[in-house]
Order: sequence, then C-alpha cells, then structure tokens
Amino acid sequence: MELFIFYAFAAVMIGSALAVITVRNPVIAVLFLVLTFFTSAAIWMLMEAEFLALTLILVYVGAVMVLFLFVVMMLDINISVLREGFVKNLYVGIPVALIIVAELITVVGVKNFGFEKFAAPVPHGPDYSNTKEIGRVLYTDYVYAFELAAVVLLVAIIAAIALTMRRRPDSKYQDPAKQVLVQRKDRIRMVRMAAEKKKSD
Amino acid sequence: MLENYLPILVFLVMGLLFGIGPVVAGFILAPNKPDSEKLSPYECGFEAFEDSRMKFDVRYYLVAILFIIFDLEIAFLFPWAVVMEELGMFGFMAMLMFLGILVIGFIYEWNKGALEWE
Amino acid sequence: MQITLKIVAIVVPIMLSVAYLTLAERKVIGYIQVRIGPNRVGPRGLLQPIADGIKLAFKEIILPTNANLFLFVLAPILVLAPALAAWAVVPFDEGMVLADIDAGLLYILALTSVGVYGVIIAGWASNSKYAFLGALRSSAQVVSYEIAMGFALVVVLMAAGSLNLQDIVLAQKGELGFINWFWIPLLPMFLVYFISGVAETNRAPFDVAEGESEIVAGFHVEYSGMTFAVFFLAEYANMILISILTAVMFMGGWLSPFEGIPGLGAMFDWVPGIVWLLLKTAFLLFLFLWFRATFPRYRYDQIMRLGWKVFIPVTIVWIVVTGVFVLGNIPPWFD
Repeated sequence: MELFIFYAFAAVMIGSALAVITVRNPVIAVLFLVLTFFTSAAIWMLMEAEFLALTLILVYVGAVMVLFLFVVMMLDINISVLREGFVKNLYVGIPVALIIVAELITVVGVKNFGFEKFAAPVPHGPDYSNTKEIGRVLYTDYVYAFELAAVVLLVAIIAAIALTMRRRPDSKYQDPAKQVLVQRKDRIRMVRMAAEKKKSD
Repeated sequence: MLENYLPILVFLVMGLLFGIGPVVAGFILAPNKPDSEKLSPYECGFEAFEDSRMKFDVRYYLVAILFIIFDLEIAFLFPWAVVMEELGMFGFMAMLMFLGILVIGFIYEWNKGALEWE
Repeated sequence: MQITLKIVAIVVPIMLSVAYLTLAERKVIGYIQVRIGPNRVGPRGLLQPIADGIKLAFKEIILPTNANLFLFVLAPILVLAPALAAWAVVPFDEGMVLADIDAGLLYILALTSVGVYGVIIAGWASNSKYAFLGALRSSAQVVSYEIAMGFALVVVLMAAGSLNLQDIVLAQKGELGFINWFWIPLLPMFLVYFISGVAETNRAPFDVAEGESEIVAGFHVEYSGMTFAVFFLAEYANMILISILTAVMFMGGWLSPFEGIPGLGAMFDWVPGIVWLLLKTAFLLFLFLWFRATFPRYRYDQIMRLGWKVFIPVTIVWIVVTGVFVLGNIPPWFD
C-alpha cells in the first residue's frame, strides 16, 4: 500500500517536473511546479517528516508559488521573441548544462545518497509529534542558526522594499487611519444664532 | 503516524471528485448553444478592448513578497509554540529576540510606506 | 471503504448545510430589511435551495472563446477540494474525528493557503478584465489576512500546547464552563481570527473581489451554470469551516458552556457535545449574515490597512502577552 502510494506520487512528481521545463506557456509551467511541490510534500510525508511536509505546502505552494504566478501571469512575456535566442545561445547553454549535470551527479549521486547511507525512516505511533521534536532542538541546540534566520529574513524585507518601492509623487490617496479617527466636532460646527426678525413692510 | 494520513489522502481525492461531479453533470444536463457574442468576454456590453492580460501595479508583487517572509516567520513560530512550556524562559527569550529582529523589519516597512495602498 | 463512508457522512451534511445556509442568508437579510425573503417554493420557501440547485444544473455552461478551457473548468474544482478536505481534522465530539493527526492546525493552515489558487487560475483562465481584476484583488487580500490568521493560530497553539484540534478543545475544559474557554484570555485573537476569516472567504464587508457594483462579480464573472455553482458551494463551505474552527479553537468546541457550574452543569448534562458545537457554529454563521446586512463594503486601501497595520501588530503583541500568561501559569486558563 505504502509502496504503491510512493510510486504513484513519485511518477506524478517526475512527470510534472518534466512538464515544467517542456510546456510552452509559462503559467502552465508554474502550475506544474506547484503540482511537483505538492507531490514531493506527499513523499516527505511518507518519510515521516510531518512538519516539513506541511510546511512545504504552506510556504512553497501557499506563498512562494503565488508570487511566481503573479510575476509570470502579469508580465505578459512575448514567447516568440524569447524563442529566437534558443539556437543562438545553444553553444553556451549545452556546456553549462553538462557542467551542472556533472556537479549534480558528484554531489547527490548514488555514491552519497544510496540506501546504505541512510536508514529507512522509523515508523512512529499515532501520538508521536514531529513538530515537538523539531521545536525541542531548534530553539535550544540550534538557537544561533535560528536567530541568524531572523537576520536573513530582515535582509529580505529590506531588499524587497528597496527594490520594488516606487512612490509616485502624483498619486492621490487618503489616509484611512485619519479617516477612522475623525470625530464629530472635526466635521460639524454647530452655530447658534438668534432668530432674525422678519422685516415688516 | 502515516495511517492517520490515509483518510486525508482519500478525502483530498474525494474532494476533487465532489467538485468534478457537479461540473460533469452540468455539462451533461445543460443545453449547449454557443454563439460568438455569447462567448465573448463580458465588458458591460462593449466590444472587448485590447487583451485582458495586462501589466499591473508592482504593489501586488510587494504584498506577495512580504507575505512569503511573514509566512516563514509563522512556520518558525509553530514548533516553538508547541514546546514553549517545556523550553521555559530560555526558549521565550530566544523567540523574543527573533520577533524583535523582525519587528525592526516591520517598522521599516511601515515607515517606508510599503504597507500603504495608494 | 469505511473511510469513504465516513467522508460521505461528513460531506453530505456539509452540502445540505450549504444549501440551507443560502436560504438562511436570504431569509435573515430579508427580515433585517423588513422583507420576508423567499416564500414561494414549498412551505415558507423551504424548498427554495433545491429549486435553485436544479435550475443551476440545467443552465448552459458558457466557455468563453479566449479562455484556457482546461484551467477554466479546473479552477472551481480547485477551490472546492481544499474547502472540503480541511474538514478531515475537525473534531465533532470527543473521539469523533476522521483523521486524528497530530499536526491538525498546521494542516488547516496549509490547506487554506492552497485555496487561493482556484481564484487566481479562474481570473487568469477567463481572459476577461473584470475576472482578472477580481482575482488580483482577492488573492492580495486573502494573502494579507492569512498572516494575521497564522499568527492567531500560533497564539492558540501557545495556549493549548498542542497542534491537535482535539487536544485544543480539551485544553479549554475546566471547572468554570465557558469562562475556561480561550475566548477570554485570547479575546483579541478571537476577533482577529474571525474577522480574518470573513476577509479570507471574501464575504461582505470585505467583498471587493466580487464587488457586484464595481467589477460585476469579479473573478467568476465568466462562470455560469454548474461551474458557478461549485464556486458558490466552496464559498459557503469555507464560511461554515471558518465558523466551526473558531468554535473549536476559542469557544470550547463540543464542551458544554455550563460544565462544572453547580446546578446548571448537571441540568444540561444530557445534551450531546455535537449539539453544542453546532449551536456555536450556527451563532458564528449568523454573524456572517448579520455583517452582510449591516456593513457597507470596505475600500481596498482600508482592507489592506486593517490586515497589515492593525491585525499584525495586535497579534505580535498578543504572542508576547500570551507567552507571559503561559509561563506565569495564570489561572484559571493556564494553571
């Protein structure tokens, strides 16, 4: 049963990963990437990495890929123009691709990633909490790395704002904070005046 | 642990089926009489102007990027919140520092006007 | 096989509730506006949702010429599937839950974040300007409120010390009945979570994504017949989900409000837990309808301000406050 589920998800994952690089429409490619992430989350789940699997969906599927979709959908890229460079750049592209493939094989090849190197995950009982296990080490043994992560995120915030913030000087806008805080006396002035007498003629 | 996830897998598949079912039923039951006016995009009765896939404000990207960062923060907070009582003061201080650094980023956003929608 | 039956036993009542929630919505808003609402089909209009369903099934499904057909049809299905699958971890009573997973809350958060895709895909695949605008507005809004929602969930976690929804309910059990529930120590989070839930489901007053009067129904403007019905189903199923989750996390789930209170506690002992849960859910659903009848639609900049500049600071402050509560073992909640 588990083996069947593994092969089903693995097949979908490899298929959709291939589709990401072969499909013509960039939006469809991103959607296939989403499917790839989703199936790899399922495979992580099979490896008993509950927290990581759900976080993969939460962060990558739920956030990162939404940004990708935004970018790809709205840039309106002209695909035919992009294709022109395909043959021209091929003689640079092929060596680069080969180098990357060679690197991948040396780093994550069978030699370093075989079955002998890593024991199969131990199946846990229903009460086992993967999240608690991570919590117990992340904020004690790895607290330094954890704080560094905060700094990296801070850099990311500042970089994102520095790169994308463009204030248009001519745009008009309201400040909702001020609008919410408006009091009656700021808007209405009650004037009391004596009744005027109608002139009799 | 895995046996608990089997119902979820089945539920996801059935959730898809519960969506596919009505749509298929609709295609079978409903009439299908297309004509070019009916199938054109709705633009309040006018002929459609230009293509609808257009460029748009960069602000939407900024929201998406900031969302990723905050989502990561949440992912970091989850395992901490579960074991907070066990970790006691040390864990709490570690998280205060983490939050403190990110609040600096948040204040920066605020002051730069990145959170304003104009 | 048994699992399939259980899932049907969960989904069929949800579908029926969705159908009758639409009737309830029209009736409630009708009475609030001094009308009587639908009253022609069946006694007091009770068969109205069924008539609506049959009507939608026989309506032509229009597939726009410029649309990407596969994605166009897929989008409503992608909205509905996560809205239903999230129910797998909802505990209806002690031990009455389909998948008793440890990371229940994380699972819910992950699934709600996947729901955006249907909307974005619908807007893009329609190849229509209104649909596109609606999808953009909706996704940016959903994404903004998800942060506040996530932080609120973290606070619940801190208070309960577990990701499992059953354990969260049990952590609210105590001698003082409804005073023991999390809605008192986590009151700001209760409000933030529920209001974010309203924004997340694109309901009034946060319905700029649909905005009938400005962008003529937004991302589903090109949808008709059953494809539209599936979007509708998903929206209402999400409303019910948000309500039941709020009830579980902040209002004691299936616990009786009078538990442990002398006299009253014993008097209501015979009421099954699920009845309490459904009553709480129904109350929260009524709030959804009440909001819609009461508030004018928010402007988009106001929505973004509320999400980013009000809710996020409040939740961050409350994380620290709750941390102090929990470490200080403040009775009666955290002793």
